[in-house]
Amino acid sequence: MKAASFAYVRPATLDDVLAELAGGDGKVLAGGQSLVPVLAMRLGRPATLVDINSVEGLDGLARDGDVVRVGATVRQRTLERSPLAAAVPLLPLALPFVGHRELRSRGTVCGSLAHADPAAELPAVACCLGATLEVAGPDGRRRVPAEEFFVGAMSTGAGPEDVLIGAEFPIAGAGEGHGFAEIARRHGDFALAGVATRVRVDGDGAVQQARLTGFGISDRPVTRDVTELLRSAGPRRAEPDLRAATAELAAEIVDTGGDAHGSTGYRRRLFAVLAARELQKAHRRALPTATEDPS
Amino acid sequence: MTELSDRVVETRRTDPASRECVTAPQRAIPPRGKVAAGESVAIAMTVNGTDVTVSVPARMHLADVLREHLGLTGTHLGCEHGVCGMCTVLVDGDAARACLLFAVQCEGAEIVTVEGLGAPDDQHPLQQAFSAHHGLQCGFCTPGMLMSSYDLLANGPKGTEVEPEDLPEEMSGVICRCTGYRGILAAVADVAAEHPEGLPGPKNCASRTLVGRGGGHSTATPGEEAADGAVPGAALPAEVRMPGGAPSATVEVRSTLSAPVEKVWAVLDDFDRLARCLPGAELVEVLDGDRYRGRAKVALGPVKLSFEGLAQVIEREPAEHRLRVLAQGADTGGSATQADIRLAAEAGPDGGTVLRADAALFLSGRIAQFGRALAGDVSRRLFEQFAEAVDETARTGAAPDVSSGPSPVRIAVGAAVDAVKRAAARGRQRVQAAIARRRAR
Repeated sequence: MKAASFAYVRPATLDDVLAELAGGDGKVLAGGQSLVPVLAMRLGRPATLVDINSVEGLDGLARDGDVVRVGATVRQRTLERSPLAAAVPLLPLALPFVGHRELRSRGTVCGSLAHADPAAELPAVACCLGATLEVAGPDGRRRVPAEEFFVGAMSTGAGPEDVLIGAEFPIAGAGEGHGFAEIARRHGDFALAGVATRVRVDGDGAVQQARLTGFGISDRPVTRDVTELLRSAGPRRAEPDLRAATAELAAEIVDTGGDAHGSTGYRRRLFAVLAARELQKAHRRALPTATEDPS
Repeated sequence: MTELSDRVVETRRTDPASRECVTAPQRAIPPRGKVAAGESVAIAMTVNGTDVTVSVPARMHLADVLREHLGLTGTHLGCEHGVCGMCTVLVDGDAARACLLFAVQCEGAEIVTVEGLGAPDDQHPLQQAFSAHHGLQCGFCTPGMLMSSYDLLANGPKGTEVEPEDLPEEMSGVICRCTGYRGILAAVADVAAEHPEGLPGPKNCASRTLVGRGGGHSTATPGEEAADGAVPGAALPAEVRMPGGAPSATVEVRSTLSAPVEKVWAVLDDFDRLARCLPGAELVEVLDGDRYRGRAKVALGPVKLSFEGLAQVIEREPAEHRLRVLAQGADTGGSATQADIRLAAEAGPDGGTVLRADAALFLSGRIAQFGRALAGDVSRRLFEQFAEAVDETARTGAAPDVSSGPSPVRIAVGAAVDAVKRAAARGRQRVQAAIARRRAR
């Protein structure tokens, strides 16, 4: 399968990128690992591909105060290898699930966010952590909270004349633990259901805040504050004690239709199990004497 | 990451707002002005250690460029939308899908394909292990599996310390649909265990000449780019480059001629007369710098190759009657050949001459599928005929007519006789081994 003909340009500046995107019939090309299959299947035929890889300053990967800032052309594998990723523990947990190594070599973090596949891992990470996304457009730059950015399947707050230029992931503080898991038919495929969790405890180990984002279960990542859910599960916060509550949550937020790979009911069940498991893991990792469990 | 040249630039930016500025070690790529839809664009990159330039439309992906323009058909294409992993190659050291990268995105990139991983007689440990563990059956996924496993063991988070139980997940980026994964995973686990100090790099990335398929065969959908005319293919090489890597075949021919050495040298020293003695060769143009443009035909049964190429005399020692010629040529069918030929004439018995021809041959494309024994046999016959023609020219002053190319009958008979001799020698060895075994009992 070959892409239809398109014009191609690789501008040197962000202004030139925006000028090329003006009119709305261009498409931003960063790593292309989501876009090129779309072009190959001729599901999309943009007039112009605007390659942003020559724009200076978009490849920055830096710690900036209390966030790690990932520029638009930073490859997923570059972040995976960077010591900075450890400051945002959900990233090293989630990145190995993004496609395959061969795709992460080229695929970008921001590209995955901008593509906004409902089953993609990085949008869920961004929502769970409350990341901030920076968008440049004809009217200047704006900062959008991740939860507002994803508005539907492959639909975001960035319009056809905009370009996502960076994402800021909050650095984890003390007393914070995370969990991440997904189920797919084959490693690297889009998840049938997945969860990202973050739990904060105080100095005594009491749960302060718990957040959970589900993905692959709706038309966008769905985030809930589950502090009360976790607190209500008894002092051990053991997985079986959480299961009834996460099943209730699953019934509420899993609204994807069934397909050949699994019915809605099956996905609810997957989600309930994964949510209980990863909440428990995040809680354990958050405790002051946290020891990594072998599972 | 795999060792890369200094073209991978690390640019450390100084942003005062950042406390800790880590720059992504990603290759910088220069800007490119707008290329209209369907318009061809010249793209320079490095493939298996060799600098190449292709001229293709922006919509052409890297795998098609490798296969159709550079003749590197080791990179296979399956799904062409990033799922199957057949087209996995190394781009700037890391494995990537060649079908999900437009060639125009690869300007200045370093590409390594399965052809660069190892040579048939100098295989990479991964290639040896795949063979030993029956890690392939039909071979279709093998290039992808090899390049993906190379990437895993060379650049993966744990390198060759990867745990065998992690391999099914780590190798899930390439699909096999025939022999099953067991042999493949066993091969990768074996290589990992054998190389605790790290995986050896690609073994066949010395600089050589990649000659594309003539005519610039484009994979454009019929009618779509046809209106813009044919995409220009690789032009005839402008210079002869020293070949690198192991040759496909080496030939050493020693012929005893009746003509005296000075007369033989007079023929060798005159490139026009020398070319007339080469079966199938035709000198087209004499260029500066002792370079010659020519054609050569080879006809062997159904095999008919017509090479256009360039030869250059790089050493000429009249006192010692020595000559060294580099030649390279390509045919429109995607075959390419390159030769490093040394000719030396010495006074022989009875006032005659001993002519030595030593040649290292480099074959790529379809001609390489000949099998090296046959290529070597054919070349040996060619030099024997050449020596006879030189002798006749030296004695009579006129070259015999060898322009029609290597005589199919004589070469086929000669090669067949050689093959029979080899088979007979193998038979003798088998019989002797069987006798030895029986005696040992």
